[in-house]
Amino acid sequence: MKLFNKFLALSTCAALLLSLISGTGMAASAKPVRLGYLDNPGSVLCQIAAAAGHFSEEGLQVELVAFADSASGLAALESGAIDVGAFAVGDSLRAIAAGKGFRLIAGGGTPLHGNPVAEQSNSFQVEEESRGVVVVIPQNWSVAEKGTIIQLTAALIRAYRTSRNFTAVASLPIGSRPDSTFRFDPNPDYWRVEKIWSGLGLQNLTMKRDFLANHIYEEIYCDALDRLLLGDIDPVLQHLFSKAICTPNCCPANAAKL
Amino acid sequence: MKRRIIALTMVLSLLASGVMAATLPKLRVGYVPEPAHGLYFLAKEKGYFTEEGVDVELFQFGSSAEGLAAVKADKLDVGTFGTTAPILFITKGSEFTFIGGMMIGGQAIIAKPERLAELAGKDLKVYKGKKIGLVKLSTGDVIFKGALKKAGIDYKKDVNFIEFGTVNAVVEAVNKGAVDAGLVYPPHFSLAEKNHGLKVAHYIEEFYPDYTCCRIIAQTAKVNADPETYKKFLAALIRAYKFYKNNPEETVQIYAKALKIDADIIRSETYIKKVADSNPDPLKKGILDFWKHIKDAGYITQDYPLEKHINTTLYKEALDAVVKKNPKDKVYQDMLVFYKKNN
Repeated sequence: MKLFNKFLALSTCAALLLSLISGTGMAASAKPVRLGYLDNPGSVLCQIAAAAGHFSEEGLQVELVAFADSASGLAALESGAIDVGAFAVGDSLRAIAAGKGFRLIAGGGTPLHGNPVAEQSNSFQVEEESRGVVVVIPQNWSVAEKGTIIQLTAALIRAYRTSRNFTAVASLPIGSRPDSTFRFDPNPDYWRVEKIWSGLGLQNLTMKRDFLANHIYEEIYCDALDRLLLGDIDPVLQHLFSKAICTPNCCPANAAKL
Repeated sequence: MKRRIIALTMVLSLLASGVMAATLPKLRVGYVPEPAHGLYFLAKEKGYFTEEGVDVELFQFGSSAEGLAAVKADKLDVGTFGTTAPILFITKGSEFTFIGGMMIGGQAIIAKPERLAELAGKDLKVYKGKKIGLVKLSTGDVIFKGALKKAGIDYKKDVNFIEFGTVNAVVEAVNKGAVDAGLVYPPHFSLAEKNHGLKVAHYIEEFYPDYTCCRIIAQTAKVNADPETYKKFLAALIRAYKFYKNNPEETVQIYAKALKIDADIIRSETYIKKVADSNPDPLKKGILDFWKHIKDAGYITQDYPLEKHINTTLYKEALDAVVKKNPKDKVYQDMLVFYKKNN
């Protein structure tokens, strides 16, 4: 009987220990990131990342939440109902100008209209660009969560690479395929956004000159791209890298290792 | 008795320096672990900062972006993080001002030993048709393209540049033969020679003398609010430059200790091959040339009046003050000539 009691106690301890270990592990990986997206072809990189398993490749559990319009999506982002959002550039920038504190971490899809006469017009271009999609995070993402934001962005870059591969696209569910009337670019691209920002007249006299730059987290995109570039040479990633304006490092991160 | 007096004097001077440092205006200075950034360690070790009246605390950073973010967030009063990085920050709205320099030159083109013959000579045309690995927007990238343009070579058409995220990746690509040559900065070409048997084909200085590398920047508002403190800081660096010019072996030891880099590598790069000059001159013309090359390369297409972010007055006044105390010193006189030529 004593032996049985000892066995029972040992088993209970082992089970407790196992549940603690697995519980901790679960807690670390199971907290899903709630990604809201505009139900529009411009957000398809989010759907590709989910359908092709790129979020999982980055060690993330992502729950997609569809929004019919950007205004309700941005309100959900502000209230904390979602963690990240893929919404219209113009609406996101207007929210930033209104002091919402959002930060852009990645680009998405922009509609192509193929109207060469209208495309000569700056205001037409701004209008078109502002209807594209960008990925934004709220102000309250902490520095400690930077790794997660990089993983999210890396998953969207992977999704872009998938979108450039005809075979891979053919195997995606129909609703998760890129629309040919959109062009896609996961780069949050300060200079492109700055044109939209200026075109929409959002900079006002009370804002510092770097107001917009403080809301575009290009460092995240560059870090994510750098990490993916560590693999085999990939022409799609090389192309993205050639277009990105990342702050170069000039020195070894740890001189002591030299 | 004599010994007691000496001991007492030492204790008093130590106490005095401690009290002095405690009452001096403070500057938190960020740098990256690069041998040519060594003036900071010399000025600190030899007591020049304290003598000039500024209490400097040094902070090492692993990346230029993080360093400049710290300057922007008011966690640093001075930053030394390349030339490209502060230009990118300024053009995106950061109110930084260039007040001095830390490094001139320093970039090299490496290749496998068996490729050296075809890259020999002093004509940049040897690089036409070649595949060159580089870290995008690094000083080597920007200046090499500037040198090619000055030599009349259409590098967008005639040279195949392959961009890498890190300098280690460039070295690896050269070593594997994935590229014909690679643009790298110190101490990586010395390390590439030591670890992989690669060779320096050219120093970019051979084609483009006195080009700007790491610059010293600070928040414009802080510089304007307290120019005297920044002037004292620059005066200490000017004196450190003289020490660096006149005391090679002690300089090597101070750099090696501070940076934890092999003394032989530092000696070779600093005094034998002289790959860079740790010169505190702001090099205004060099900064503006650099900005022009960034635009020519198409990295940034929008123009920006960068000149208003360069303050050469502080450095000139600091240099004049040092010269006034040492009117016949050759190093300081040479610095004056250099200043006039480059600003």
